[in-house]
Amino acid sequence: MRSQENAIEVNDITKKFRIYFDKGALLKEKVIFRNRNKYEERWVLNGISFDVKKGEAIGLIGHNGCGKSTTLKLLTRIMFPDSGSIDMCGRVSSLLELGAGFHPDMSGRDNIYINASIFGLSKKEIDNRLQDIIDFSELAEFIDNPVRTYSSGMYMRLAFSVAINVNADILLIDEILAVGDANFQNKCFNKMLEIKKKGTTIVLVSHALGQIEQICERTIWIHEGLIRMDGSPREVHNAYLEFMEDKRRQTLVEQERRQEQQESPSQEESGGEGEEAQEESQQPQKAAEKPVAQRRGSGEARMKHIKSYNRQGEEKYHFKSGEDIIFEITYETYERIEQAIFGLSIFRIDGTRCYGSNTRVDQVKEFVIEKDGKARVCFDHNKLLPGRYFVDVCIARGMDMIVDYLDTVNEFEITGITEEMGFMKMSHSWEVEGGDHVI
Amino acid sequence: MKIIKEIIEYREMIFSLIRRDLRGRYKGSVLGFMWTFINPLLQLGVYTVVFSVIMRMNIDRYYLFLFVALIPWIFFNTCLGGGTRVIFSQEDMVKKIYFPREVLPIAFATSQFINMVLAFLVIFAVIFLSGMGVSLQALLYLPLIMLIEYILALGITMFGAAATVYIRDLEQIFNIIGMAWMYLTPVLYSVDMVPEELQGLYHLNPMTSVIVAYRDILYYKKPPQLETLLNAVLLGILVLGFGWFSFSRLKRRFAEEL
Repeated sequence: MRSQENAIEVNDITKKFRIYFDKGALLKEKVIFRNRNKYEERWVLNGISFDVKKGEAIGLIGHNGCGKSTTLKLLTRIMFPDSGSIDMCGRVSSLLELGAGFHPDMSGRDNIYINASIFGLSKKEIDNRLQDIIDFSELAEFIDNPVRTYSSGMYMRLAFSVAINVNADILLIDEILAVGDANFQNKCFNKMLEIKKKGTTIVLVSHALGQIEQICERTIWIHEGLIRMDGSPREVHNAYLEFMEDKRRQTLVEQERRQEQQESPSQEESGGEGEEAQEESQQPQKAAEKPVAQRRGSGEARMKHIKSYNRQGEEKYHFKSGEDIIFEITYETYERIEQAIFGLSIFRIDGTRCYGSNTRVDQVKEFVIEKDGKARVCFDHNKLLPGRYFVDVCIARGMDMIVDYLDTVNEFEITGITEEMGFMKMSHSWEVEGGDHVI
Repeated sequence: MKIIKEIIEYREMIFSLIRRDLRGRYKGSVLGFMWTFINPLLQLGVYTVVFSVIMRMNIDRYYLFLFVALIPWIFFNTCLGGGTRVIFSQEDMVKKIYFPREVLPIAFATSQFINMVLAFLVIFAVIFLSGMGVSLQALLYLPLIMLIEYILALGITMFGAAATVYIRDLEQIFNIIGMAWMYLTPVLYSVDMVPEELQGLYHLNPMTSVIVAYRDILYYKKPPQLETLLNAVLLGILVLGFGWFSFSRLKRRFAEEL
């Protein structure tokens, strides 16, 4: 029995999928190749229970394939659990698919009616909301044109406007806030907050942890079909990020071990063209993990890898704003280089250079390198705003000879919540003349 | 019963889908909606040439005899063949959004039904042009037999739609069945031509009674026999029951099978 204050009660649900080894949906195959219909049952959910209070907003996180989207589909009643029960009260609207039922040859207005009716609205309800929907989509002047003449951005804007104006009691959302330009996204986001304020219960599946932190007061972390953690977003997200980083490190270590096994016969030999050629051949394997990494330069020395650490010396790829970041470049030298210069630049994920410098610019004397070694650069109290960044590193000889340049090698993320804009904090203070503070 | 209530709540979706289907179907073609009328007329032309010029049937005004049966048959046949695509052509919607799944076959069958009703305008035009006239008393039975045929067609649509999700071949199989079914139904010929010993078997075909009733009303201008109507109603309800039941059993795993 559902208690009064809960909007959603999920009781020990399990779900298994049939994974056909060789699925034949054709009759012939079903009859003739009986044994081809063998399938493996894979449990996606192994018994999940949680309650969501009325008006509460929760986030569901977990890595791909952990069962979070399946949970959402079960809540939506698109699929049914194999055991356990789901109890929900009120109208449920799901933003899993935008623009369902749109017909390209019909006008925007007609499509609003079709799309909204699929969400279960009656004609009268749609009539009442029509103006809101059109206003929200900012498509008033195009609303009577056929949808096929819309740009894809306009199409999604119209679709989102319908979905968000359904006025459900429970709203289920799967990663769709990335619609339209930055301006419209902001609007969608504000609308979400407004909907939440009205007392709508929200379940949000997303990889954008920052988004969850801003909307939800609770996060559930699903791992291998079970709830791993349930609590405040900050707490859960930190644990989750740490876990993901551990996993990443493990795969890196494994990869390195595999590489060493492959290399082992010639590994101990020093220098030489032979080894270089072999290293070339490994490049694609490395590249598989960081697909955009590129190398150029004359090649007397080579950087092996770049790692980032926090002040305590732990290898990390997530930092908070203000934390110290130490980058460590491990390099191998094949020929003696005089006047070596080390450089490093930080780029935002869209390619904007946030900061770059090198030992010469920083007035550090040039180095003479002839052995393998490591170079470290420490950024005290990084000033980057939350987002994803990557690093380019370089070894040069003198002012203009690039020995080794690595593009997009170290990707890291700055986490945190802020409403500041741009990519860096700048220290500043406000002063307003002729105004008094609101008391 | 809960599902019926829910379908009623989603009635606007049914109307929307029908509107979309009717208005969207001929978009972009030059003759547009006229095809609703031209298509059956052309089919009528072909069959009439074959069966009254080449293989002579010796039936008075054969074109009319055929036409009043052909239009209802086309409606049924479209539901039989096209119904199989109802669910999996809407794959995205079924996989991503909740709505009572019954809405899709209901909308499809209803939209085809409306098409048939519109085509009846052509039938009446042909009747008047031929100088045959109608019997008003017989016409009273027309809505009834249309309703019975609708029930029958809906049942077939629901079964086809649900089963094809699991076995894709049914789309092809149903098309062939549709062709065979037409020749086993007295559409092109009169039911009297069927040998005596096969008559019983023939009336197990729900479409036999339906076609006989249409022909009684419009061609022979007399009310259909009670026996014919009863037979049609009974078989119609049976088919709908079967279609509805199989649909509700199969619909739970649509999203996974698609």
